[in-house]
Amino acid sequence: MKPARFDYVRAETVAHAGEILAAAGGDGKVLAGGQSLMPMINFRLVKPTVLVDINHIAGLDTIALDGGRLRLGALVRHRMTAEDGLVKAHVPVLHHAMKHVAHLTVRNRGTFCGSVCHADPAAEMPMMTLLLDGLMHTASSRGTRAVAARDFFVGSLVTALEPHEMVTAIEIDALPPGAGWGFEEFARRHGDYALASVAVVLERQGGHARNVRVATMGVGEMPARMDTVEAALEGSAMDDRALDGAVDLLRAAVAPNSDLNASADYRRHLVGALARRALADAWSRATETAQ
Amino acid sequence: MTDAPRTADASVELRPKLVGQRIRRTEDPRLLTGSGRYVDDIALPGMLHVAVRRSDQPHARILSIDVGDAFAIPGVVAIFDARDIAGDIRPAIPTSRMDGYYATPIRPLAQDKVRYTGEPVVAVVAESRYAAEDALDQIAIAYEPLPFAIRQVDAVEPGAPLLHEEAGSNVIIARQFQRGDVDAAIAAAPVTVRRRFRMTRKTPVPMENRSYLADWDKRKRALTLHTSSNIPGIVRDVLADCLDLPGNRLRVVAPDVGGSFGGKGSLNHEEMLVCVLAKKLERPVKFTADRMEDLTAMSQAFDELIDAELAVDAEGRLIGLRADVIGDIGAYSVYPWTGALEPVQVVSFLPGPYRMQHYRGRVRGVLTPKPPTGPYRGVGRPSSTFAMERLIDMAARKLGLDPAEMRRRNLVTAEEFPYRTGSGIIWDKSAFQECLEGACADYPALVKARDAARAEGRWVGIGLASYAELTGIGSRIAVAPGMPINTGTETAAIRIDATGAVTAAFGISSHGQGLETTLAQIVADELGCRFEDVEILHGDSALVPMGTGTYASRSAVLGGGAATKSARVVKTKVLKAAAHLMDVPMEELEAGNGLIRARSSNATMTFKEVARAVYSQMGRIPYDQREDLVAEETYDPYLGTACASTHLAMVEVDRDTFGVTVTHFVVAEDCGRIINPLIVEGQVHGAVAQGIGAALLEEVVHDETGQLLTASLADYLVPVATNMPDIGIVHIEADLPNNLGGFRGMGEGGTIGAPAAIANAISDALSPLGIEIDTLPATPERLFRLVEAAQAGMAQDKPAG
Amino acid sequence: MSARAEITVTVNGIAYTRAVDPRLLLSDFLRQEIGLTGTHVGCEHGVCGACTILLDGRSARSCLLLAVQLDGAAIETVESLGAMDRLGRVQEAFRAHHALQCGFCTPGFLMTITDMLRHHPLESDAEIREALSGNVCRCTGYEHIVNAVRELARERGPLK
Repeated sequence: MKPARFDYVRAETVAHAGEILAAAGGDGKVLAGGQSLMPMINFRLVKPTVLVDINHIAGLDTIALDGGRLRLGALVRHRMTAEDGLVKAHVPVLHHAMKHVAHLTVRNRGTFCGSVCHADPAAEMPMMTLLLDGLMHTASSRGTRAVAARDFFVGSLVTALEPHEMVTAIEIDALPPGAGWGFEEFARRHGDYALASVAVVLERQGGHARNVRVATMGVGEMPARMDTVEAALEGSAMDDRALDGAVDLLRAAVAPNSDLNASADYRRHLVGALARRALADAWSRATETAQ
Repeated sequence: MTDAPRTADASVELRPKLVGQRIRRTEDPRLLTGSGRYVDDIALPGMLHVAVRRSDQPHARILSIDVGDAFAIPGVVAIFDARDIAGDIRPAIPTSRMDGYYATPIRPLAQDKVRYTGEPVVAVVAESRYAAEDALDQIAIAYEPLPFAIRQVDAVEPGAPLLHEEAGSNVIIARQFQRGDVDAAIAAAPVTVRRRFRMTRKTPVPMENRSYLADWDKRKRALTLHTSSNIPGIVRDVLADCLDLPGNRLRVVAPDVGGSFGGKGSLNHEEMLVCVLAKKLERPVKFTADRMEDLTAMSQAFDELIDAELAVDAEGRLIGLRADVIGDIGAYSVYPWTGALEPVQVVSFLPGPYRMQHYRGRVRGVLTPKPPTGPYRGVGRPSSTFAMERLIDMAARKLGLDPAEMRRRNLVTAEEFPYRTGSGIIWDKSAFQECLEGACADYPALVKARDAARAEGRWVGIGLASYAELTGIGSRIAVAPGMPINTGTETAAIRIDATGAVTAAFGISSHGQGLETTLAQIVADELGCRFEDVEILHGDSALVPMGTGTYASRSAVLGGGAATKSARVVKTKVLKAAAHLMDVPMEELEAGNGLIRARSSNATMTFKEVARAVYSQMGRIPYDQREDLVAEETYDPYLGTACASTHLAMVEVDRDTFGVTVTHFVVAEDCGRIINPLIVEGQVHGAVAQGIGAALLEEVVHDETGQLLTASLADYLVPVATNMPDIGIVHIEADLPNNLGGFRGMGEGGTIGAPAAIANAISDALSPLGIEIDTLPATPERLFRLVEAAQAGMAQDKPAG
Repeated sequence: MSARAEITVTVNGIAYTRAVDPRLLLSDFLRQEIGLTGTHVGCEHGVCGACTILLDGRSARSCLLLAVQLDGAAIETVESLGAMDRLGRVQEAFRAHHALQCGFCTPGFLMTITDMLRHHPLESDAEIREALSGNVCRCTGYEHIVNAVRELARERGPLK
C-alpha cells in the first residue's frame, strides 16, 4: 500500500499555492494535515499529479474573533481548536465536539479546514460549519471568493470547491451569551466516524426557544440543517410534546444510507434519539435572555 | 510412556523457586527500545520486493494475463504467474485420514482458476515495493466468471457450483460424534430449548502483517526463509518436500513475530512464493503484506451455523444435546490443520464441561469462495461455548432457575474426574466448580445492582460462561486426525558451554507469550543455575531435529516439560563433575542460583568453574568419566490436560443507541501451576479483549458478489482501550495435572469464554423483552432489529382495546 | 516523472540529508533510508498507531507523512527513549507492568504516551483510555498499558 508517483511543491504563500494548483489543471491536491488525504493516497484511491504542501504558509494557523464571528485559518489543527480559549468561550458546542474528533495523534495534525474540505458525511467539522452558518474563504489564481456552508457541501466527499482553489479560512458564528447547545454522537468505538450525530444551538427568551439551529451528520450523503425541525421549534416551550414532534420531523427529514455498520432504519431511529438528547441538553444549558 | 507425574518436590529448597514469580520479561528491553528484529526489519544486500496482484473475482477461470507496460517501470525486475513457476515447486497437500475428505492443493499463485477475492495471481518483483505496486497497476487479467455460492447454506446444497471440481462436492468434511440415544432423550425430556446460532467470520489481525524473506545461498545451494510464522518447524518440513531440499539446506527462522492469534499458524501462499522466487532469481526476495492484504487474504476464523437443541429435566439437569453444524471453511483446506480444525472442534467441544449422557454432533465443512478459515485463538471453542452457554441460560430461564445454580448442578464435580464427554473428550481433572464459585464471588451484589438498574428501566444484564479446553496435548490426541505432522512432542536441547553459560533451544516459537522468560524460569529452577545465565533459543528450524511451533496452548506445557527433562539430565552431569572436583559424594551436592554446594562442608563451586574444569582443564576429571554438559530430551505428555474457566460479564445496553458497554468482567481460571502471574494475567486480558471484539465489534463481511467489505481497520473494528473494562482475575490453583511441571495451557481461554458471557449478559439485559442473542457480534444494528421485532410482537400480543 | 528532492531531517538529534522520492512515506524513510526499524508499520492508513513518532514534539502517524514535507523538521522515534541497558522512564513502566507482549505496537504506544505525558492532563482512567484509543494493541487488552500510564501520570501529580 504505497502511493503512486506525484510531484511535491512546498507553497510559500497562498498565491504560490494557487499558481501550482492552476498549473496542475485539476490534478493537484492541497496537503495540510493529511489525515484524510494521505490514507486515500496510500490506498491509491487518489492519484494527484502534484501535492501542494501549505503547511509552511505563514499566517494560516490562527483563530481570531472578529465582529461576532470566529475565523479559523487553514492550518488550525484540531488540537488547537480543542484547546483554544476563544472557541471554548464563544463556541462551546464546537469545543465539546472536538472530543469526538478522531484521536489525540490525529488531532495533532488534522486541520479544521481540511476536514471540512474532505466533506466526509460522518465527520464532525463539516456539520459544525453548517450548524454555525460557516463561510468558506477560498483563494485561487483567479482571485478569492466566499462560499456559504449551505452551498459548500454537494455530496459525500464532494464540495463546491474548484480543483484549482484552496480554502484559506473558515468563518463561523460565535454564540450569543446565554445560548444553549447540545451535541450528541454515537460511534462504534471512541473516535471512529459517527453512525450519527446531532448538534443543536438555541436561545431562550421568555421561556421560549429562539434561533434554533439543528444539524445532523451520518444520516445522508452530507451533513444537513434540519430546517423543518428548526421552524417547528422556533418559539416553542421545548416541552415533551415539542421535542417529540421535533424528533418525528427530524426522522422524516433525513435520508440515511444503509451500509456495513448500520441500516437506514437504525440510523433514522438513532438520529432521532440523539436529537432528543441534544435538544434537551441545549434547552437546559440556555439561560434566559432579554428579547 | 508418559513421564511420571512430578510429586511435591522432596529436595531441600535453598531459595524461592523462580516458577511462580512475577519475573520481568527478558524480551522486553529489546522490544521497548525498537531493537526487536521482525522480518520486515531485515534488509539483505541485493534484496528485492514482491507485490502481488490478487484476484478481484470470487470464482473465475483465468483466461489471460497481460503485463502491459509493467516492465517499463523503473526498478521492475521480473513478473511471474503460476505457469512460470509450475516446475519449481510442488503444491502442499493438507492430507488427513478423514472419510470423504478432499485435500485442496495449496500453491503460491492461482493456477487456471481463482477461488476467492484476494487470492494471489501474479507476483511482481522489483527493487522497491513502490515500483512493484506501480507495476501491478499495469497488469490486466481477463477472467471468465464462474458461478459460485457465497453462503454456506447454499454451498452445501447438492447442485451448488463446485469450487474444486476434483472434490466432487463442496462438502469436503463430514463428521459425527455420538453417545447414547439423543433423539429419544430429547423427545422424552420435560424441557427443551433450541436455536440456530451464528458465530460470524473473524480475522486475527496481529499487529504485524505477514512478512516473508527468502535468501538463496547459491554457494551452499541452501535456502533460508525468515518468516513471521508461529510454526517455523512445520513450514520447514513441508517446504522441504515442496522444494525438494533436505532439512540441512532449508532453514526456516521466525525472529521476533508481532502476534499471530492463529493467522500466522498455517502455510501461506506467499511463504512458498518468496522461496521459489529467491531460488529462481538468486537474490533475496521479500514479501511484506500490507494491512489490506492481510485483512483480505490471511486465514480467517469461525463462521459456523450451529443448529442445537438441549434437553433438561425439571431440576435443570442436562439430559441430551444434538447439534448440526455447517462450517464455512472458505476456498481451501489450510496446511497442515485442514479445514476440519475449526468446525470439527465445535462439535467435539460442544458438550462443554458438563455432565450429560446423550449427545450427537454432526458437522459439515463446506468450501465457499472466501479466504480459508484456519487456526484462531480458541479454535472451535469460542463458537461451541457461545452456543452451549446460550442454551444453558435459555433452559435456566425457561425453568426459572438462576444461571449460576443451573451451572452448579451440571458442571462435572471433582469426584467424577476423569470424565468422558459425549463427544469422547476426557477431562482429566480441573477446577470446574471452583472456577464457577470464584467468578461468582460478587454475584449476589451484582444481581442486586442489576435489579435496581432494571427497576429504573435500564437494560442491564449479567452473563456467565463456563468452559473447559484441552491444552498441552500429547501424541495420543492429534489436533485433527491424520495430519502429516506430530504436534504432541517437544524437544529441549540444553547445553552449558565452556564459559558456563546455559543455552536452551526449543522447537517452539514465541510471538508475544514471553516464553524466553518463562522457559528460562523453569530451566534455572531445574538446573540450579542463575536466571540471567540462561539464553532461550526458539523460532528456528535448525535448533532441534523436529519442532513445530507455538499454538494450541502447548508451549508452556510441552516446552516446559522438555525443559524440565533436559535440565535434569544436564544437572546430573554437572553434579557428577562437581563431585569429582570437590571430592564429595554426588548425593551431598545441591545446586541453586549458579552455585553447587556441598551440604556437609558448605564448600561451593560455581557453574562456570565446573564448566571450565569439564571443558578446558584437561585431566581434572578422569577422561573416561568426562561428559559434555549437554542434553537433548523430548517430552510427550501423551494425553492433554483440561484447563477450566468461568467468565462473568455485566453489561448495559443503551436504550437509545443500542450500544453495549461492558461494565464488569471477571475471569476465574485454573491454569495449573502458574509459571509467571504477570504473563498469565496479560494472556487473560488480551484474550478477553479479543473475545469482547468477537462479541461486540468484529465481523468479516463478504457481500453477495463475493467482495470483501471489511478491507481496512476502519471497517473491521478491533477493540481499543475505551472498549475494555478492567478485568478481575481469580487464579484457581487446584489439583495439578498429571504432567511434568503441573502446567496447563492458558493462552487462548479468554477468547473462548468472553463471547458467550457477553451474549448471555445482553440476553439477560434484554430479558424483559424476551430477547435471546443468537448471532455475534451483537452490533447496535442487530440489537435494534431484535428490540424492534420484540416490541412489535409484544404490541401484537396485547389484547385489543 | 517526479524528481527526487533533497531534504534534511533531524531524527533523534542527528541531521540526515537524503534525496527522496516525493512519495516516500516517513515510515519508510525512517525504516529503510536511515535504518531506524523501531518505528513499525501496521496499517498505512492511519488507524493502528504502530508508526507513531513525534514531529516537532507532538505525536504523529509516520505513515501519513511524506519524508519530503519534513525538510527542516525534528523527529523523535522510539530509539530516542532509552537504551536496552538504560531504559527510559516510560519504557521502565511498561516493563514493570507487563504492558507489552509481541512488542509490535509498543513503539507507537510509547511515543503516543510520551506526548500524553508532556501535554495532556490524564486525570482519570477514562482520560487515559481515551488518549490511548488511537493505538491498537491486539495482545494486552490494554489494562497493563493503562496501569503503566496511570503510574507515570501520578508521578507528575495526583489524579482525580
